[in-house]
Amino acid sequence: MDQLLQHLVNGTVLGGTYALLGIGLTLIFGVMRVVNFTHGELYAFGAYMTYAFVSLLGVNFYLALALATLAGVALGAALELVLLRRMRRADIDSVMLVMIGASLVLQNAEMWAWGGVAKLIPNPFAGSPLVLGPVSVLPLRLFVLGVSAALLLGFWLMLDRTRAGVAMRATFQDPETAALMGVRVGWVNTATFAIGSGLAAAAGALLGPVFMVSPTMGDLVGLKAFAIVILGGLGSLPGATLGGFALGFVEEFAGGYLSTEYRDAFGFLLIILVLALKPQGLVPAKERIG
Amino acid sequence: MLRLEGVAAGYGRTLALADVSLDVRQGELVSLIGANGAGKSTTLKTISGLLKPSAGRITWDGAEIGGLSPREILARGIAHCPEGRRVFPHLTVRENLEMGALLRRDRAAVATDLDAMCDRFPRLRERLAQAAGTLSGGEQQMLAIARALMSRPRLVMFDEPSLGLAPSLVEQVFQIVREIRANGTTVLMVEQNAMAALRLCDRAFLLETGHVVQAGTGAELLASPDVRAAYLGGA
Ligand SMILES: Nc1ncnc2c1ncn2[C@@H]1O[C@H](COP(=O)(O)OP(=O)(O)O)[C@@H](O)[C@H]1O
Ligand SMILES: [Mg+2]
Repeated sequence: MDQLLQHLVNGTVLGGTYALLGIGLTLIFGVMRVVNFTHGELYAFGAYMTYAFVSLLGVNFYLALALATLAGVALGAALELVLLRRMRRADIDSVMLVMIGASLVLQNAEMWAWGGVAKLIPNPFAGSPLVLGPVSVLPLRLFVLGVSAALLLGFWLMLDRTRAGVAMRATFQDPETAALMGVRVGWVNTATFAIGSGLAAAAGALLGPVFMVSPTMGDLVGLKAFAIVILGGLGSLPGATLGGFALGFVEEFAGGYLSTEYRDAFGFLLIILVLALKPQGLVPAKERIG
Repeated sequence: MLRLEGVAAGYGRTLALADVSLDVRQGELVSLIGANGAGKSTTLKTISGLLKPSAGRITWDGAEIGGLSPREILARGIAHCPEGRRVFPHLTVRENLEMGALLRRDRAAVATDLDAMCDRFPRLRERLAQAAGTLSGGEQQMLAIARALMSRPRLVMFDEPSLGLAPSLVEQVFQIVREIRANGTTVLMVEQNAMAALRLCDRAFLLETGHVVQAGTGAELLASPDVRAAYLGGA
């Protein structure tokens, strides 16, 4: 029972960042119909930028997280403006190939810039866990959960309450009619890719200090992001949130009770199961807010 | 106020409009009629900026507007209510109406207009917080019309507003179009229901495979043997 609670807490922490990752990817797919293979690299980018700011430039830890996220937003905007904007009329295969190419370039640039050795990001939190009854959590992990939850809530409020958010959802649903309402669909695309990338970078910045940072960390995370999005239903924002937490729990529980070495494999096993039983994902199309 | 001269436009390599010339004067209700696939919707999309004309001129108050973005066209006072209603299904009725007023900065006046739309279409007021996709076809058409008017256009273009509606609703839609014109907004309407459109309008243009082949008052086109043979069941 105590162990169960412990796994539940760990799964929630992991799930929050996975939800950020999944929302970013599903948003980009939903609005732009782009299968974004650079998503995992943006995650790694967020982690490395945090490392650079904290360890090399001596920037305050919290400020470094914000700057790394903003750097992700900027890199996403640049990718959209330089690559995707020119390919608006290209077929989906060409776009996919270009995005795969871009992810290879990003990964190798990271390797070149930082070397192959994994880095540790120092953080200001106490190394000893907080003990709350039967559960113990590292303060850093609580902080990660808090920030993820705040980002998820903030993003949702932006989409639900602001004029920009309504315009974004309208574009999501019917870009041509949105254009007739005066929406600059091109800028919505740039903003979408930038925000989606920023969410991935934020996830990387948050988990970077929890785990180690290495140039290939984006690979597995990119795959997981796709798993989360497919799990939740392509283009569904609530689905991606749900999928993120589902993956976090499955990894945590399977890792805890079944096998630590294969914890990543169980997540993918779950995807196969869900797709076999519910091919549309957890949140069917008609319930999507997009 | 709006004039098209020899406009051509298309989708990729397929040319849908070859030679379209027409004009709409201030305060008029003008109909564009023609068979399915004649290019009526394409004409409206080219005016509203969704498509770029590949030849010809489009002028608005004498200034060239061909090739401007839909946003710039809307800002100049031309609203386009597209074929098939195209309400945003997962936005609420209120959000749909607000989308119509996206470019306006006078937020207080927008709120007043939204309220006035709800007075004109009471069904919309009852459903303000509901997703537009849950509305009936007729309600969605009313919403699409109201959304187009929320920008306070000087010219509003309707693409087949009666499409797929029950006969009683069709009559209601035409009544609304008449009222909109009576309130001082110029109207350019595309209709397959040529008989009704010709009775309603001041002037009309007949489109055939991307060419304007006839122009005249509604009564003239109603009396034309060609029009009668092709579009009014030959009677
Ligand atoms: N999105 C599109 N892509 C390619 N061709 C199109 C598209 N929309 C319409 N067309 C073609 O353009 C021509 C005119 O279509 P349209 O303007 O929709 O006619 P109408 O509104 O008069 O029924 C038709 O031959 C149609 O097949
Ligand atoms: Mg049409």
